[in-house]
Amino acid sequence: MTVTVGTSAPRSDGDAKVSGAAVFGVDFSLPGMVYAQLLRSPVAAGRLMSIATGTAVSMDGVHAVVTAAEVPNERTGIVLFDMPLFATDYITYEGEPLAAVVAETPEIAKAALGAIEFEIEEQEPVATPEQALAPGARLVHPGWATFATMGNLEWPRDGNIVSETVADPGDVDAVFETADLVVEDVYGAPRQYQAYLEPKMALATYEAGRFTIHVSHQFPFNVRDRVAQTLGVPKSAVRVIGHHIGGAFGAKLDLGLEAYAAFLARRTGRPVKMVNTRQEDLLTAPCRENAVVKIRSAVDSAGKILALDVDVVFDSGAYAIDAPYLTSIPMFVFGSVYRVGTARVATRAVYTNTAPTGAFRGVSGTYLVFALERHMDHIANELGVNRRDYRLQALMDDGDEMLNGQILSDASILREAFEVLEERAPWAELGKDPLCGVGMAAAVWLTNPAPGQATVKLNEDGTLGVITAATDNGSGAVTMGVRQIAAEGLGLSADQVVVTMPDTDTAGYDAGSQGSRTTHVVGRAAFEATAEVKNSVLKTAATMLEAAEEDLVVEHGEVHVTGDRSSRVTLAEVAATAMFTEGPIAATGSYTTPIPAFNPTCATGMLLPTWPTPTYHLHIAEVEVDPVTGNVIVLRYLVAQEVGKTINPQGVAGQIQGGVAQGLGYALWERLDIEGGKYVQRSLETYGLPLAVDVPDVEAVLLQHEASAGPYGAKGVAEPPIVPVAGAIANAVADAIGRPIDKIPITPEAVLDALEG
Amino acid sequence: MQFHRAQTLDEALDLLGELGDDALVLAGGTDAVIQYLAGEIAPEAFVHIEGIEDLTTVSLNHRTTLGPLVTHRVLATDEVIGAVHPALAASARTVGGWQTQAVGTIGGNICNASPAADTVPPLLVADAYVTLASRRGRRRLALMDFFLDRRQTVMDPDEMLTAIDLDPLPRGSGEVYLKVGRRGAMEVALVGMAVRIGFAADGTVDSARIALCSVAPTPRRVPDAEKALIGSRLDGGVFDAAGEALRAAACPIDDARASASYRRRTLGGLLERAAIQCREAVTS
Repeated sequence: MTVTVGTSAPRSDGDAKVSGAAVFGVDFSLPGMVYAQLLRSPVAAGRLMSIATGTAVSMDGVHAVVTAAEVPNERTGIVLFDMPLFATDYITYEGEPLAAVVAETPEIAKAALGAIEFEIEEQEPVATPEQALAPGARLVHPGWATFATMGNLEWPRDGNIVSETVADPGDVDAVFETADLVVEDVYGAPRQYQAYLEPKMALATYEAGRFTIHVSHQFPFNVRDRVAQTLGVPKSAVRVIGHHIGGAFGAKLDLGLEAYAAFLARRTGRPVKMVNTRQEDLLTAPCRENAVVKIRSAVDSAGKILALDVDVVFDSGAYAIDAPYLTSIPMFVFGSVYRVGTARVATRAVYTNTAPTGAFRGVSGTYLVFALERHMDHIANELGVNRRDYRLQALMDDGDEMLNGQILSDASILREAFEVLEERAPWAELGKDPLCGVGMAAAVWLTNPAPGQATVKLNEDGTLGVITAATDNGSGAVTMGVRQIAAEGLGLSADQVVVTMPDTDTAGYDAGSQGSRTTHVVGRAAFEATAEVKNSVLKTAATMLEAAEEDLVVEHGEVHVTGDRSSRVTLAEVAATAMFTEGPIAATGSYTTPIPAFNPTCATGMLLPTWPTPTYHLHIAEVEVDPVTGNVIVLRYLVAQEVGKTINPQGVAGQIQGGVAQGLGYALWERLDIEGGKYVQRSLETYGLPLAVDVPDVEAVLLQHEASAGPYGAKGVAEPPIVPVAGAIANAVADAIGRPIDKIPITPEAVLDALEG
Repeated sequence: MQFHRAQTLDEALDLLGELGDDALVLAGGTDAVIQYLAGEIAPEAFVHIEGIEDLTTVSLNHRTTLGPLVTHRVLATDEVIGAVHPALAASARTVGGWQTQAVGTIGGNICNASPAADTVPPLLVADAYVTLASRRGRRRLALMDFFLDRRQTVMDPDEMLTAIDLDPLPRGSGEVYLKVGRRGAMEVALVGMAVRIGFAADGTVDSARIALCSVAPTPRRVPDAEKALIGSRLDGGVFDAAGEALRAAACPIDDARASASYRRRTLGGLLERAAIQCREAVTS
């Protein structure tokens, strides 16, 4: 029996966020603060011929104006070191920083930006991956063959191909020769902007040789490391303090404005604050990458897939960021849900003269699942069989191997997901009305394994404090998850636990809120720390009660002898006593998920070799299309999601509702078209986020399998609900109109085109 | 930039008389402030009229008269207005979101002269007139003659819109406003269509008014499409002819929101849907 785990305990930041009392990064200020803004390139590609700052520097209220010539401008990065602070001789994307101004007010800073004189010789941008891959294409980074890498990793530097992962078992072509049926498709997917409420910000100070940077960032330790790398200072010279985050979704994992603010704070001796305008944020955020997926299956007469041949090209934009990791993801998506026989999966990330793309909830998975699940519908339709039945016969089973050789020991959970949704909403009864359709999409998604730590201390009033750099990006992973897990360890309620905000000086390392890792990894660390605290409590209480430790029970804020509640001490008394006997009670837990066994020769260029702590997902969508406008109305949306163990049902429901809403936006409404290297949609008005009125209540069924190494069996929850949405919706729309859908977003124009045949 | 707050119509007209070309009248500001912040307009002065109580009135007689400061929210939710101006109420419900509707006004929607002004097509099918006032006097003219081009009207710099009068929905008539947008709110109309149809006892169409927004620089009536419906029972090939007339009258643009061809191709189906809803409104 649990006390708080499994209950919808309120989040600790809920009241403050609803009332407006919460201080988000953009709200934070310091005495003597000045404001910095960036001059950004108005063109997508060109040569920076000159830049003159004299007029701007001499303006009243301007503290400093800096360009590439005045900063440490070594190229840095997380894998490939390709990004300078400021463009030097050549410009790679619209929005690339050229200079920075520090001024007494934002208005003066803006005016000073306008006074910087610069001359650009514009070049024809390499605007698309197709142009980047064309023979003789201009290199986006002419000298990139010499750029350094993390750990001196080496890989071919071929044309504009940033990185490449290829799995080729060698027998694929031969199997295609024997196929009864070959099914072939090409799918396209656009960029997606993370569109959080709070634009990127940073506020930095420099005192006594150390930088302190206030952020609303998903990964404060990465800010520490990347600022140190960028400015050429030791990691210990950088302290990062986290504040409430107004949404992030992956866009706040790598450096944003922090290194600029830090440098300018040192330069001016003043606290320097920077906040993106919404348009700057939209134009320069590391959006989800646009991609083209070519997929071809060899099928036998019984409908079995004998071989799969996949070619993925995605747009890394002007810099690599995490692209070298992302080229591994297709191997997992195409080889974890259905048995696909032998498979060749080649993925290339490509430089273009566009804003760099990066992490977004469900990295790459959204369009890869869209491609795979549209393709599964295509094969089933070619064979003339029921689309659900076709998937069921192809599902992987317990003990099956993924393409990386990793064993999926619990793959049958996905079959269970098909069964529970069938009970809730029989497939044969959905999407039957005219212009209505039904679609499904399944996925197996990872829980990010990266390390984390939590220190738990027993306060003298019997409450717990948790010190961790884990960040709550709004998901509730800390304010509900970690807090409830620590409370549970001593039988307390969640409101008797206070968790610190992140501070890299005071808390142990944490790998950031990414890939649903916080509840699983940091929760496990907090679980272990709390268990150790409990041992200390029992030891002290045993002396106080003159009883054996094994006869004691900790519950309701006290320790008593089993079966005798009259013989008891409160946790407050235990904490106070321990203070002067054993010393203050505290313990630290650390955890990182062990890497599963895999076949290291399964592919080349695989920086992300395994798919740890997999979870299982099935989504079903029922839609109606409007034959006059081409609009798609989502009538019903069902999710079966395996979570390991539900720590907070309301929190999980919120993440599923939100993930599906974000996935619907991606599938149906959000648009970020690129023309000549520039975004066509340049504000949220034309970008088109989904609205409450457009998103149905998501019906979610949670599957609990508590076998995982997570706290109480909890696995990652928050990231994957976005992953299958575009696949399910596209299949439903295609079913409704009787024509294939091979591009997202599914625009009204495309629906009308299809209806008119 | 100067900011003047006028508490009475006289104050406002005095200010406009003095400032003339340099001034912009500000009511709810839901579009003007956005344009100002984006640098698309740069008036020397704003004359803020939102506090002029006299301009918020609604009077319902044989003609309805609306003060220009009647908000979208009032139009959207007032049951008495909704009963006699269902299309206008429907159009107001599609403007932005609740926050925009709460402060945005019908006068602002008209004077802003956006090609996509949602309330204008319902006003056009209700044969609306506008009254313009200045220190020099007053004039009343058909709303149809008010718009010159995108964001250009016949108003002189010292003039202000002081009233809108229009025909309530007669017995035996139905009217609707249909808006094409990708989402259920917060959309700038890709196409907006107001239709008011009068039916004879036997179900024959004896009057029809059709007005569009977002398909041309100014909202407009489409007489050829109206003629195509009159005398019909909304059957046969009537919508083919009417749709053709709509497409001929439309000269939409391609922009980041939708293509011109998409806007054009929705027109025929939209009219059919609107006309049938008008009939349902009469027979129900």
